[in-house]
Amino acid sequence: MGSTTGKAVILDESGIVASCIVPSEIDPEETSRNALEKACAQLEDLKGYRDLAYLVGTGYGRNEVPFANENISEISCHAAGAFHCNNEIKTIVDIGGQDVKGISLNGDGSVMEFAMNDKCAAGTGRFLEGMSRIFRMDLEQFSELSMKARKPIAVTAQCSVFAETEVVSLLAKRNPPDEIAAGIQSAVAKRCFTLLKRIGVRPRVTVTGGCAKNRGLVKALSKILDVEVTALPVDPQIIGALGAAVFAMRKGR
Amino acid sequence: MSDQIIFIKYSILIWLRIVRLGLRHGPVNMVREIRRYDWLWYLLKVNGLMRRMVRGRAGLYREAICLVIYTVVCNIGDLLEGVFLHPDRLIMNEDMVPTEIARAMGLNTWTTEVLGILLPMLDPIAMEEYIDASENEGIPPDICSLPKSTMGMALKGKLPDVLAIVASNLPCDGGMASYELIEKKLNAPIYRLDVPFNFYNDRATRYFTEDLKKMIAWLENCTPGRMDWNRFRDICERRNRMAELEMEIWDMIRTRPAPLAAEAVYLPHLWHFNICAGSEGSLKLYERLVGMCRKNLEEKKGAVRNEKYRAVLWNPPFLHFLDIFSWVERTYGVTLIIDSMTYNSLPLIDTSSPDSMLRGMGNIIMQGPMARHTRGPAENYLDDIFRIYRQFDLDMIWVAGHVGCKNTAALNGVLREMCREAGIPLLILDYDLSDPRIVTHEGMITQVEHFMENVMKAERLAP
Repeated sequence: MGSTTGKAVILDESGIVASCIVPSEIDPEETSRNALEKACAQLEDLKGYRDLAYLVGTGYGRNEVPFANENISEISCHAAGAFHCNNEIKTIVDIGGQDVKGISLNGDGSVMEFAMNDKCAAGTGRFLEGMSRIFRMDLEQFSELSMKARKPIAVTAQCSVFAETEVVSLLAKRNPPDEIAAGIQSAVAKRCFTLLKRIGVRPRVTVTGGCAKNRGLVKALSKILDVEVTALPVDPQIIGALGAAVFAMRKGR
Repeated sequence: MSDQIIFIKYSILIWLRIVRLGLRHGPVNMVREIRRYDWLWYLLKVNGLMRRMVRGRAGLYREAICLVIYTVVCNIGDLLEGVFLHPDRLIMNEDMVPTEIARAMGLNTWTTEVLGILLPMLDPIAMEEYIDASENEGIPPDICSLPKSTMGMALKGKLPDVLAIVASNLPCDGGMASYELIEKKLNAPIYRLDVPFNFYNDRATRYFTEDLKKMIAWLENCTPGRMDWNRFRDICERRNRMAELEMEIWDMIRTRPAPLAAEAVYLPHLWHFNICAGSEGSLKLYERLVGMCRKNLEEKKGAVRNEKYRAVLWNPPFLHFLDIFSWVERTYGVTLIIDSMTYNSLPLIDTSSPDSMLRGMGNIIMQGPMARHTRGPAENYLDDIFRIYRQFDLDMIWVAGHVGCKNTAALNGVLREMCREAGIPLLILDYDLSDPRIVTHEGMITQVEHFMENVMKAERLAP
């Protein structure tokens, strides 16, 4: 249960058999029910989520999911999900709608250490949403715009409110929008870098969460960390839910 | 049932001590004092604090905590009697300057920061109005909230009038700077002890011993106090005995499960070694604590019913959320074995001559836990942590990551790297020492839950 979207993943011995992403409702229980029903509808032989062998809830709203067999922290779930996709992953940057986490993994995919910013919107999906609104674009268009830049313009403000003021000023001064957009991606990447410094960056590094779909951000992150970011073979936005499903598989056996 | 009786017994004793203070000072005078020092109301919440702290704790562990709280109340009663009944012999001392010398001179002491330490324990929001008062007068919001609280109290006229102030250049810039304001508000002369930066050598000890002598001469000049070396020897000897008893407790709590833990270990040191070391009451407390600890050890009883993890707390304890340890004991079986403030590697004073006593006291001031940890070099901070980790057979390190402490913020980065290399689980719990608005109790609990669930892979204990 994320702050902006709810995700569901159904797993069996063969791998992921169903998954979906739905917008978050005010009530996390409603979001989780929507997501599960949508995922279950993808499988003909499943009548509903009550037929699932084991159900694990994760994310900020996980404690509000009464029908889950168990709730597990999203930190452990992102670690399990990323490790399930690629067992060489040692460092995860999870950039979600309302927080950013750095997660360092042990050799078995469990969490060695983590650091998180859940106090400030700067560097999160909310920040990027706000920025793309200034450009009158959606996040995908904003990402593609930033990819065109040859030289990013530095956006110095750390705070998302002040950054917005700075970006508006830069646009008003007729600076190239693609270079400003790249500067914004770079600013977010720098915040992630500061967070990752606390846990240490060990290759392979991957990015999870909805913002991992932002190619401009991943490119900026790779440049600032000076390390190649490994793409996962699964939609990065459902990695937390996948991790929950991995735990459910272990428990449900 | 007997646990409940213990609580009731100490609640009654605490009330009797409070009533005694009122009777000795006289009800009319007491009303006058309450009007001036409205923070006195907070002291009535002490049984509430005791109730929170003993939650889930039983037997001798519970009794030890009740006893410690009762002795703290008794000592506060003594301090307040000094303020109310003998203001002609009252001086103020900074918390890093021990009170032993002044007490040997027949002076009463009031530790400037004592309310900033005590009141948040009694009521988490107690310091907010003083912090705000301080910031509203232009004190930078990003300095430590303890000096901010103390300055706020001075600005609002809530500190007692004193004959003189003794401070030092410890432990941090914020603390030092606060005395400029306190000195002006109280309009009292101040002596600042000059603790040398490099203090692990004879030259530093000689220099500081001379500084202590100058302080004594200065106090004799501006107060009626006169140095009584025999009284000082008695205080030092009792202090030594307290330190020996504390080391006995350390030896015993190395055992798994620890026979005493948390507030029964760190609170006696925090209060009795800093505010009233070498007093008869403090010595008696330690004798009783050793007895309780030994009894539990002999009966192979752990203080915590289900000790699963052993932890050290680095930096001062979570003043406005002391009961976080009773919560974490009940929830995950995490047992706080010892803390950095208690861990003092140089506790004994040579009482053979006045000079040797001053040298010993000087070394205690210079090399005391917080003094040497916050001034550098970094090894002082880091070496102690890893030594304590081995000595007490611990499973994890908790750092009270007080956001207002710049000195330790940088060190914690190095500590993270060292713990990672050594494979030691480390929790740096972000919070503010005196202000729960910065990180709420819920926020602190969430950090612990994340750590226990993700790093320690711990399951919650059955309620």
